[in-house]
Amino acid sequence: MAILINKQTRVLIQGITGKSGTQAAGELLDYGTKLVAGVTPGKGGEEVDTVPVFNTVMEALEQVGPCDASMVYVPPLLARGAAMEAIEAKIPLVHIFVEKMPVLDVAQVLSKAQKSGVRVLGPASVGAISPGEAKIGSIGGPNPSAVFSKGQVGVISKSGGMCSELAMLITRGGFGQSTVVGVGGDLLTGTSFSDLLLEFEEDQATKVVVAFGEVGGSSEIEAAKLIKEGKFTKPFIVFLAGKFAESLPKDTALGHAGAIVGLEANMEEKIRALREAGAIVAENFEDIPMLIKKAI
Amino acid sequence: MLKFSQEMKLYEFEGHKVLASAGIESPFFIVCETLAQVRAARAKFKLPLVAKVQVLSGGRGKAGGVKVCSRETHLWQFAKDFLGKEFPAARGEKVKYILLAQKIDFEAQYYIAITYDTAARKPYLLFSDAGGVEIEEAARQNPESVVKIYIDPQNGPAKGDFRKFAVPFEFVQKLWEAFSKNDCRLLEINPLAKTKNGFLALDAKVILDDNGFIRHEDFDFLPKGAISAEPSQREIMAKKIDEGDYRGSAGSAFIDLDGDIAIMASGGGASLLVMDAVLAAGGKSANYTEYSGNPSREKVEKLTRIALSREGLSGCLVAGAVANFTDIFETLGGFVDGLRSIRPKVKYPIVVRRGGPRQEEAYKMLKNAARKEGFDIHLFGAETPISVAAREMVELSEKYKAGLKIDGKSGKR
Repeated sequence: MAILINKQTRVLIQGITGKSGTQAAGELLDYGTKLVAGVTPGKGGEEVDTVPVFNTVMEALEQVGPCDASMVYVPPLLARGAAMEAIEAKIPLVHIFVEKMPVLDVAQVLSKAQKSGVRVLGPASVGAISPGEAKIGSIGGPNPSAVFSKGQVGVISKSGGMCSELAMLITRGGFGQSTVVGVGGDLLTGTSFSDLLLEFEEDQATKVVVAFGEVGGSSEIEAAKLIKEGKFTKPFIVFLAGKFAESLPKDTALGHAGAIVGLEANMEEKIRALREAGAIVAENFEDIPMLIKKAI
Repeated sequence: MLKFSQEMKLYEFEGHKVLASAGIESPFFIVCETLAQVRAARAKFKLPLVAKVQVLSGGRGKAGGVKVCSRETHLWQFAKDFLGKEFPAARGEKVKYILLAQKIDFEAQYYIAITYDTAARKPYLLFSDAGGVEIEEAARQNPESVVKIYIDPQNGPAKGDFRKFAVPFEFVQKLWEAFSKNDCRLLEINPLAKTKNGFLALDAKVILDDNGFIRHEDFDFLPKGAISAEPSQREIMAKKIDEGDYRGSAGSAFIDLDGDIAIMASGGGASLLVMDAVLAAGGKSANYTEYSGNPSREKVEKLTRIALSREGLSGCLVAGAVANFTDIFETLGGFVDGLRSIRPKVKYPIVVRRGGPRQEEAYKMLKNAARKEGFDIHLFGAETPISVAAREMVELSEKYKAGLKIDGKSGKR
């Protein structure tokens, strides 16, 4: 078992004929992911790595049957339209790889997804991998097995690079991963740390979850709240990066809205909230395997 | 990812442009850069007028940056006190502009804002009867005085949500139009004045979404620094690298710092780890920057030229996590291209720590460049933690500095 994706997941790529879409298609096939179709308007009838290309998502679904996940690999200003198309087709998981998507477009996509019961991963998400089963996105690049290995540790990071870095550290420490997910570092993201903790809670293969936290935002605070409410009960190990940013001379925040609503938390508040909730805050990045050992 | 690297704060007078684009008016105002301009502008107003310093940080009113001038002498004094000087509430920020606005009479003043709720992933409108400077305090003491209403980002504000609202629904629609049309992350009016002739924005705080710039070629707002109002030349140049090419990013986030170790980090998360590690090892970074998402060789070359363009460097740390899809050979090739172009030739130690696609080829290329061209490059693979590579960098840079001192004393270099 794993979360989000497994051997059975049927995947579609929107923008499959572009440079990074084609690259991702090859990597998915090499890893054994069930990539069943691609979409690029105007390129219907072509093939990428034996994968049939269609003009629209609906057409693809009619021809190849239902899909469980779509990966959006198009330029930033086309991402909203592409994601909306996948949501309208009711594909349950829409992964947006695209970076630099305007936040208004993201909000519109997420609002539509929420109404339609569709999960969005991203934008600016490197993807997700359930080692030994399947992957979506560009996570692990052409050679995922170099750092990812099957096991019991769930991994969450905003940043794609840190997904690989964490997996490598965990693999070298003698542990494998159930699923590794890059959620993206934009202001709004479709899938948060908390969403994934809820998934990992249900997943029998996952015994412990490791997350790479960062300065800014509120994902760690939300995760702490979830643990406090008893909705996530497995060991949760968090490393927080970006302490240097708090040593920067900083202007008083422009605008009061964030402070009034109470969304912003500094590093110290994050650490306190996590520890109070019973999460394990790693002092050093390299300590993570040792902390996993203790927790399992 | 650093939040402030994805957004741009506007001056009040720039914020009024954003509001005006949706028909939200402000009292008549003039922006002045010099005392002479202040004198010339004075004639266009009936006293009293309001003089306001233009700074990007909050807390302006509390710090004395807003003054109602009922006499000319008040205005001259205010202008002399602030124009061209550092504004105490805003860390080192110099007041380049003063805005003079017509003082107006109003019946009531409100606080109104639209921004994003990152937990609910939706925009929302925030409103309070208690407009004015102490809004956060008012919200703490009397939470019921603040109303929070979510806005559907596809359909805009729903009329039914704004019944019995102190501000007409048409105004809410205008505010949403200004927010959405201009790709804002925050749009705040405090205070919004209710006058005999309608509503007027007496202030404008706007933060724009960097990712929205691509559809606003008409924007002519002044460039801003990453953490300061006044960007350094290097910050402006770095920001330009990504313009017109959305594939991969390099330099969109660049902050000039006052250390001596140049940083070329990769990845939003790893770059934070790198900066923390240098700090923990006792080193001082000369900059923060980051490239990621498989940028072209040319983009990395440009960023390298900028990061290494500073005098007095004693090291360069090129570090990132194990890349997923960033081509290590191409990106480090870009680094070497940039390195070669620096004059005088780079003598200080360079530490590289990377992993990912084509890393072996990349390291072979770096070794060759080091041998043939005499660069002091130290290579670490993914088996070496970033923290260890950072410590190595700091030690090498200390040795390099010690060597410079000895050479300096004996008169040779």
